[in-house]
Amino acid sequence: MTAKAPAVMIESASKWYGEVIGLNDVSLAIDGGVTGVLGPNGAGKSTLFKLLLGRLKPSQGSVRLFGTDPWESTSPFRRVGYVSETEPLYEWMTGLDFLMTMARLHGMTRDEARERAEHVLEFVGLSDVRHKEVGKYSKGMRQRVKIAHALVHDPDLIILDEPLHGCDPLARTSIMSVIRELGNRGKTVIVSSHILEEIERITEQIVILHNGRLLALGNLHAIRGLLDKHPHRILLETESPRDLAKELITRKPIYGVRFPEDGFLEIQTGDLSAAHEILPSAIIESGIRVTAVENPDDNLDSLLGYLVGGG
Amino acid sequence: MDVQGRDLSETVWTRLDRKAGAVIELTIRQLRHKISTWVVLALGTILMVLLLAFYIDSIRDGFESIDNDGDSVDQDRDGYPLGQERKYGTSDWNGEEYPGSGTYIYEGEIDWNDENREISGNKTWEGVSLLDATWIDADYKGGQWDYIIDWEDVTDCPDTRGELFVDWIPDFATACQLEDGTYATNGKFNAEGNITVPLDYYLTYGYVTGIFVVPKDPKEMYIDEDDIDWDGSSGSQGMDDDGDCLRTEWFTQLDGSGEFMWWEEPHRPDANGNGIQCDVIWIIDSQTGEVISISADSSVDEDPVDENYAGEASHRTFVIATGKIAFVLLLGLFLPLFLSLGLVRDETERGTLHYLLSKPIHRGEFILYRVLGYLAVVSVFVLVLSLVMGLITSVIGPGESLIRVGDLPVWLGIAIATILVLAAYGSLFNTIGLLLPKYGVYLCIVIGVWEFAMGFTTLISPSSSIATLSVSHWGLQLIDSIVMVSWPDTLQFSQMSSAFGLQTGLEWIWSPPVHTLNSSNAYLGILTSVIMLIGVSVSMIGIGSAVFSKREIM
Amino acid sequence: MTPELDISGGTTRMESAFGSGDGDDEAKASVAKKAEVKGSIYEQTYRPWRGSLGPRWVRNYAIFRHHVYGLFSSKGHRYYHPIVRLTILIVFLFSLSPVAMLFLASLGGQGGFGEILSRMWGINRYNLWGQVLGFFPRNLCMWPLLTALVVGGMISDDRRNGTSAIYFSRPVNRIDYTAMKYLSSAVVLGFVIVFSYMVYYTSAIVLNGEGWAFLIDTFPIFMGGLLAGILLVLTYTSIGLALSSISQSRFFAAVAFLAVIYGTKMVAFLIESTFESSILYLLSPYDGLAHIGQWLVGIESNYDYPLAFSIVSILLINSLSLALLTSRVSSLEVTRE
Repeated sequence: MTAKAPAVMIESASKWYGEVIGLNDVSLAIDGGVTGVLGPNGAGKSTLFKLLLGRLKPSQGSVRLFGTDPWESTSPFRRVGYVSETEPLYEWMTGLDFLMTMARLHGMTRDEARERAEHVLEFVGLSDVRHKEVGKYSKGMRQRVKIAHALVHDPDLIILDEPLHGCDPLARTSIMSVIRELGNRGKTVIVSSHILEEIERITEQIVILHNGRLLALGNLHAIRGLLDKHPHRILLETESPRDLAKELITRKPIYGVRFPEDGFLEIQTGDLSAAHEILPSAIIESGIRVTAVENPDDNLDSLLGYLVGGG
Repeated sequence: MDVQGRDLSETVWTRLDRKAGAVIELTIRQLRHKISTWVVLALGTILMVLLLAFYIDSIRDGFESIDNDGDSVDQDRDGYPLGQERKYGTSDWNGEEYPGSGTYIYEGEIDWNDENREISGNKTWEGVSLLDATWIDADYKGGQWDYIIDWEDVTDCPDTRGELFVDWIPDFATACQLEDGTYATNGKFNAEGNITVPLDYYLTYGYVTGIFVVPKDPKEMYIDEDDIDWDGSSGSQGMDDDGDCLRTEWFTQLDGSGEFMWWEEPHRPDANGNGIQCDVIWIIDSQTGEVISISADSSVDEDPVDENYAGEASHRTFVIATGKIAFVLLLGLFLPLFLSLGLVRDETERGTLHYLLSKPIHRGEFILYRVLGYLAVVSVFVLVLSLVMGLITSVIGPGESLIRVGDLPVWLGIAIATILVLAAYGSLFNTIGLLLPKYGVYLCIVIGVWEFAMGFTTLISPSSSIATLSVSHWGLQLIDSIVMVSWPDTLQFSQMSSAFGLQTGLEWIWSPPVHTLNSSNAYLGILTSVIMLIGVSVSMIGIGSAVFSKREIM
Repeated sequence: MTPELDISGGTTRMESAFGSGDGDDEAKASVAKKAEVKGSIYEQTYRPWRGSLGPRWVRNYAIFRHHVYGLFSSKGHRYYHPIVRLTILIVFLFSLSPVAMLFLASLGGQGGFGEILSRMWGINRYNLWGQVLGFFPRNLCMWPLLTALVVGGMISDDRRNGTSAIYFSRPVNRIDYTAMKYLSSAVVLGFVIVFSYMVYYTSAIVLNGEGWAFLIDTFPIFMGGLLAGILLVLTYTSIGLALSSISQSRFFAAVAFLAVIYGTKMVAFLIESTFESSILYLLSPYDGLAHIGQWLVGIESNYDYPLAFSIVSILLINSLSLALLTSRVSSLEVTRE
């Protein structure tokens, strides 16, 4: 049972806090590869992770990590690494100290812990600052040391809660590459985010949560394809929106225009890619100055909107 | 379950051990990085240094001999100490009355009506007069109200107050010298010469018979003069060395600091009621040879040589008081208040708890290890402090040997009692912090006040039953028991202190343990106290673990 | 970076922006820009207040009121924890216990039990002194607990939460702030300690039906005790606020206050009982106050050093605390520390 049990197995689990529902009848199994958990704030991502980490008890249903209930037993944590979204660290510890302590909490001896800590720091690229106090680390370094702490015991399942939150682009890139690398090594990695693009760059396998419900599960391409069939909006900022509208409404993929505000034009299309193809030439032809082009739909909210069925 | 061989550990126990070590080490290092830890430990050290300073100061003064029965004073300034006056049955109130002072025989008087107002001779005079003396007895002295003139205190008569004996006379019991060398007197004196009694004034005169010379005893003779006479066996013992037990008349008594007080107790030469006057009943445990009780008649063995008794007893008082007040009450209560409440609570507040909870450690274990980590810090501190205190005081303390080896078990016992108290409070406060994350701090403050008040109550009245509802009570009991085991003769010192009225403080700071299941066995006292303290610790950790492991952590 | 991704225009732009180092923070910024446009709506609705500033005392009274009213209602006033309120209530009721006894005595009528009660609990120098300065139980269990709970969080909470900025961003200077914190703490303590004392005295007169002669006899003693009570409140407030100003946790301040009061008393007690030297009582705030109080109500002092020592000691304790308090408040960060 144990060897075959999936890393994460959730069967119709619900969690409510009094009247508020945190997670509503979610069933899912994750094993191997990188999985992105998407959802706006308050969608239930944190509740899901807290259930996985045995910090909460499911109100209904069951949660299994490697076949064991994490609420009842701490033994699956031997194979789990967790990176929280919260900032705090033990500021006064050096990076190496922190990792060694965490490794020893997994039952390693001091020597083993040192060896593993050095190794993991090397892996996340922090070995040159390993003797510096964590309090003096930059945000990206802190994020990476948190990831390192989750890796120090070589876990099979790694859970990262908003690992890219608040990092600068450089740090993002390096953290993303670390995550991809982990996936390539055959670990089960679960990453949460509320920004689609972040997840897009890491993985194609996603889980979308909204209002505590499981909205979508599977390949990002498939979901995106679904997305293309829905009407899309493109927002243009221009001096004379009505003239531009006249010009654009004649083009094929565009079937509607709206003037949401003064100096703005919103065009509606059924095929986003095609619309973007014709847009530049159409604007140049019209000779009207366009100062900005925005895709208000190209974010998680609108994706969710479609999935929920609102539009 | 998880059987992935990771070759990290050999058995469950070694792994547990490693995790325990890691949590404990983490806790210690966390405490080390808190300023308040160092502030509290520094204050504890300052407290001990202060106590040591006072101790060393008192040792340097030596244990000066104390006149426990207060008979070395000379209240009426006649040169004879109270003890000597008592032996001769004279009053220490009246300067005219002293051993060998004889009896005053009235001869005559010059009163308001007498024509002849001059007389000469060598007599004892009393009244207002003008004295032209050839000899004055300057040794004749009395107390404040005795009307006896102190000739060493005679000043020149002032000429600003008008006519002598008309406008003014010398003050009560004084004399002053006139310019011609004569004296104006208002009092009693022995002198030879011519006496003139001014008009409207009154003088009596006479002589004293039966005078015999009694050498004045030095005061020191009446200090430490009635040592405790005890051959170590049971029964009627004691010997009234200074012979004041059977003396019938008691006038004064002085307390230990030399202040005058009225003697209130009736004199009872057979206070212990065994039919033998002036003895002391010693009851000895025939098995252990320990003193069980001492019952003394009044004024027997009441002024022992202080070096032998007060010195030792004071030293013990210091050790016990330090152990009880400084260690158990102050360190024992305030170290945990400052250090243990946040053991888990702070992690929750700061948001670092998940680092520790996402590890394969049971939450109950986790609580235990946290408390152990805190305990490691404070235990080392308490052990070091008590050891240093023990070494210094046992080297400079009273006694012939270079080092008082017998003290060290007591200090160790104090350290252990304190550590047990620290464990009990530590787990109590930690559990409260866990159970009531919001209200806990307030409850801890209230409990702190309660514990302190109950500790204070236990100090004043060790058998108080309401105080048993406090941890500090059992800590103090434990010290009482440990002292009784390590220094079995403390009971004897305490008994002596109360039986012979010695001022050592031992009898109030220490009393035999109360909770011995009516056996008076100190080992049982240790057992009950230790069980209570460990019981509190274990049950609190248990409650904390049980609640915490079923707690949903948001 | 995965080229086979289905990149539609907007995403491409973000991708390239991301690659060039601007990051998708920039992409979000365009959303924020929209909000900026909306922000102008706020500008229209914002109407600066052009009224005249109330006088300084009005502002200060508002601070004072905020702290004191909080005892009764948390709505819009300082939050006092329910346990703190409960403790204040219990301590207050307990400090009124002599009144209850006197009431019982007045029910008991002449002679017998009533008379014993009224003699035990009636007005005399010792009872008046004991009402504010008795060690057991008032200064052992009640006043320090009360002070620790009330004063503990006064400034430390502001330091912890950065709420002092609420004051300092308004026309309130640090002296006003400190003075009002001090005053409101003192008033809360005074409400329990001094007010209960006054209630005790007046109710004793009313319940025993005392006449003018009694009033004339006892009023100076009452005033002495009142002074002692006020001095006690001020001293405890000074120490408590000073400790509160050096810490960020109300718990630390509260426990430190208890440690100061109890620690000095117990150490002095230890030294006195072991070495017969009472000089350390000078370090103990309680004993200094008790000594001064004994003089004020005219009962025999049980301290063997001159009264002046105690007065100097209490003055020193107060001025040191106030110096600490002012220096800490003047260095108080406006932001969260």
